[in-house]
Amino acid sequence: MKDELRERLARLDPMSSRVPTESVTTPSSRRLLEDIMSTSPTEQTISERAPKKNPWFVGIAAAAVLVVAVGGVIALTGDDTDGGPVAGGPPLELDAGADDPMAMCIMFSVEELARAPLAFEGTVTSVEGETVTLDVDEWFKGGEAEQVVLHAPAGMEALIGGIPFEEGGQYLITAYDGTVNYCGFSGPSAPEFRAAFEEAFAG
Amino acid sequence: MSPAERRDRFEAIAAEAYEPLQRYLRRRAKAEDAPDLLNDVLTVIWRRVEDVPMPEPLPWCYAVARRTLSNHRRSVQRRLSLVGRLEAEPTPELILDPAESLQDGGLVDAMGGLPAADQEVLRLWAWEQLEPREIALVLGSTPNAVSLRLGRAKGKLAEAMSRQDPPSGGHIGDRHAEEHQR
Repeated sequence: MKDELRERLARLDPMSSRVPTESVTTPSSRRLLEDIMSTSPTEQTISERAPKKNPWFVGIAAAAVLVVAVGGVIALTGDDTDGGPVAGGPPLELDAGADDPMAMCIMFSVEELARAPLAFEGTVTSVEGETVTLDVDEWFKGGEAEQVVLHAPAGMEALIGGIPFEEGGQYLITAYDGTVNYCGFSGPSAPEFRAAFEEAFAG
Repeated sequence: MSPAERRDRFEAIAAEAYEPLQRYLRRRAKAEDAPDLLNDVLTVIWRRVEDVPMPEPLPWCYAVARRTLSNHRRSVQRRLSLVGRLEAEPTPELILDPAESLQDGGLVDAMGGLPAADQEVLRLWAWEQLEPREIALVLGSTPNAVSLRLGRAKGKLAEAMSRQDPPSGGHIGDRHAEEHQR
């Protein structure tokens, strides 16, 4: 009975096996694959497409380029390399740069978001040069600190990872290995974005 | 992994996944968007070729395609909302073979009435022909949760069919009717 349902559903498939697809061996397929393999595995490709797709990404990509241009990032202040919880008193300090922007610019999904070891919502209390301080409103995962300090690479100032931090603004932040994951996984708090956090870190 | 090994691995994955990915994308996206999406998916696979589980790369590749697609839909939505046309381009929730759907309208209607997540599990099961263990890899879920959802989705489908007038294919509705008589 179950297989019968499966077969009936399969008959509704608009791309069933009788519809031809392009073989991997055709010249145009080979060209596509060779083009892809000729790119460096860490090459920034999203920035090239971003202007068409998502205005926010433009800022991120620009910022990512800036990180590279400035050359390096400020090291994470604590020893907490796994980005784990920092209990109570001292603020948690996070690096807001990245040595490999592409590695973080993976496609957004709730599943991917759920893998972040550190996630919180916070309100910016101060923006001073390359340092942004947030009061944590809610920890979704991985921390207990009441305050989080983000350190941007020199010259980045308030535009950390392409996110325009403003005093009094509320932001959703995730971090890996003590570094803010800004590529679509951190940003100003908005209902839809917050719902994704709630779903990702439920239970 | 050496550059040559990366290439070999990527070629092996492409040999396995190239056509299934085309089907996956064309089932869920507009035909004109499919080539760009395929390019994006393959690019991600190339970048992360070391992470692709062998010798069964396909569910992992579908998972990449799924994220690529949802990202694409989000950006389309965002673009539309920016120009104040939120509902101008609805996400295609259910794309069916027109010829077949005429013949099995009952199932089409029943499917269309299910929540999107149920529909997707059914599609992965019947169209991509994946088993719950593989569907779990695609959706980032557990085989257990997928089995439950699949079972529930099939139940809902049967229920919806049984509520319809004499079902054209009959079997699912019949079974449900029998269950009611017991």
